[in-house]
Amino acid sequence: MSKLFNEDVVEEITRKGDRWQQSTGHGGKANDREFRTLSGISVEPVYTPEHTADMDYLRDLGFPGEPPFVRGVHPTMYRERAWTMRQLAGYGPPEETNKRYKLLLSEGATGINGIFDYPTLRGYDSTDPLARADCGRGGVAIDTLEDMRILFDGIPLEKVSSSLVTCQPICNITVQSMYFANARNRGVPLDKLTGTSQNDFLMETCMATAPGVLPPKASFKLSCDAIEYCTKHAPRWNPISFAGYNYRESGCTADQEVAFVIANAIACSEEMVRRGLDVDDFAPRLSFFMNGQSDFFEEIAKYRAARRVWYRVMKERFKAKNPRSLAFRFHVQTAGVALTAQQPLNNIARSAYHALSAALGGAQSVHIDGYDEALCIPTELSSITALRCNQILQLETRVTNTVDPLGGSYFVEALTSKLEEKILMLLEEMDGLGGIVKATETGWIHGKIADAAYEYQNDIETGKMPVVGVNCYRMDDEVLPIELFEVPETAKVQEKRLKRIKKERSDSEVRRALDAISRCCDEDGNLMEVIVESVQSLVTEGEITEVLKDKYGVWNPPLF
Amino acid sequence: MAGERKKRILIAKPGLDGHDRGAKVVARALRNAGMEVIYAGLHQTPLQIVNTAVDEDVEAIGLSILSGAHKTIFPKVMSLLKQKGISDILVFGGGTIPKKDWGILKSIGVGEIFPPGSDTREIAAYLYKVL
Repeated sequence: MSKLFNEDVVEEITRKGDRWQQSTGHGGKANDREFRTLSGISVEPVYTPEHTADMDYLRDLGFPGEPPFVRGVHPTMYRERAWTMRQLAGYGPPEETNKRYKLLLSEGATGINGIFDYPTLRGYDSTDPLARADCGRGGVAIDTLEDMRILFDGIPLEKVSSSLVTCQPICNITVQSMYFANARNRGVPLDKLTGTSQNDFLMETCMATAPGVLPPKASFKLSCDAIEYCTKHAPRWNPISFAGYNYRESGCTADQEVAFVIANAIACSEEMVRRGLDVDDFAPRLSFFMNGQSDFFEEIAKYRAARRVWYRVMKERFKAKNPRSLAFRFHVQTAGVALTAQQPLNNIARSAYHALSAALGGAQSVHIDGYDEALCIPTELSSITALRCNQILQLETRVTNTVDPLGGSYFVEALTSKLEEKILMLLEEMDGLGGIVKATETGWIHGKIADAAYEYQNDIETGKMPVVGVNCYRMDDEVLPIELFEVPETAKVQEKRLKRIKKERSDSEVRRALDAISRCCDEDGNLMEVIVESVQSLVTEGEITEVLKDKYGVWNPPLF
Repeated sequence: MAGERKKRILIAKPGLDGHDRGAKVVARALRNAGMEVIYAGLHQTPLQIVNTAVDEDVEAIGLSILSGAHKTIFPKVMSLLKQKGISDILVFGGGTIPKKDWGILKSIGVGEIFPPGSDTREIAAYLYKVL
């Protein structure tokens, strides 16, 4: 037992606290307004030991790097190794993004965070009629292994860790295979590669609901194939990054964001165990991608609560023993949805607060948004400014001096416990629905997200949630103080290259490659094992997608 | 207003971009404002959008574009409508469409553009006013 306060003390504090509240303004006028977190948790005027009276220090908090990891996943945290500064980059054809990667690395970024264009994320070639307008937009265009070679040309794959934002499993299975095949062609063995792929089936089936996507079960299978493949061949690669960030961007609340990533990780873990893997072989590489929203303390509490819940899930449900399996490791990106198109320079301040809460919450890596992202893809200036913002936080503010500096704050601890409670309730509810794949098939998740997104918008429109520059302090006739990024010509560049490749590659090799994939689907084998080899034939991503959609069929998700 | 037909609006997200939060929120808000809303989801081609608009007999098409492809997609939709000889369907838009491009879009007949931060009540009021 390591209770923080004895009962008599708590009782006295509670009594005096009540008296204080009644005798001060808090009983009356100061309570006229509703005080709630962004996710709707009611907030007290002041927090005291009364609110953390049930807490047992060693059981509920412990030490950094030790169960239940609430105070951080490493014993030394930022004193030994600060968070990775991973700035998202990607646009146009691969030769253009290659330049941006090199610029960011030369300016001090400590990892690559590569995003792919909309057609690539959805499994279409740049030449597909459906893809034309979006080619090179939102990320870099990748059609074949040759594009991947160009994208990472001159970047030391054995040294730089790469995060591949291959959101949809239908994209990941091919694009990650291309990254691995390219590494092998350059003589870098897979077990030397460090990085992360996103690979989240909810991204395909829930977050961006489009007709004609892979059904949830098939998308989930592809995601698990990549996890299994990496566990066996690329043990330093994080084969999945549960995209809570995007769940939140779509509308989720803080507790839903955590509950959905953990429910997803539970489903993947169950599937890996079913496939015969030991939990401690794959769980250390399950990683999470979280959203830094505007409610400063709620976000810090969210990260801390996520660590506690994950620890208990892995310990109790999966009997994990390796401390790395039990530790919730995560990357944070500052909230895009909180950025405003109005007075865009204000976004620098917003994102800095978001990033500060990530640092105080113990993130392993942090991306700060460009101030212009409500308007366009970040320009060179806005990208560098975001990186500098990250560097200022890490080098100048000294928040890295001690681990979990807000641990023990009555408020933060109470909020952490409250969020934990809400997350556990949602997990229980999803268990009752048959797990997250089922909850997706029935549209339950879609409904939850759409409701929360609508409420958020309502709160802005009724003025309940002030957004500076949008529903207050607007400036009419505002002149945009920034230049906007124009995506370089992509469709023509990709079309030309693809034409040449299709002429030069061996048709029989391509056919063999596609047949092998098709056979693997029939035999329910691990598709990544096959696709890593197949991409050598310069088969395109779109050609692989066609086979997968042909074999697994397509699904029309519930619209809302 | 008994007996009067509800305004019918098609909300669609052309192209492959997945940022659909805005489109869905607008669809729900217009529905709550008393309109009949057909939400077409993502991945719509301009032709599919125009065909749906005709089949569903809508008075307006709202296109949500956050990919930057607005200068390709709006002109396509406008010219398809023209080809079909349709002049009574209003096309309006929303998303990350920079102000400097509004002029180009309006010159080809596109109606109001609602950038990020727009109030859904303004969108509803606009539609009730012009339709």
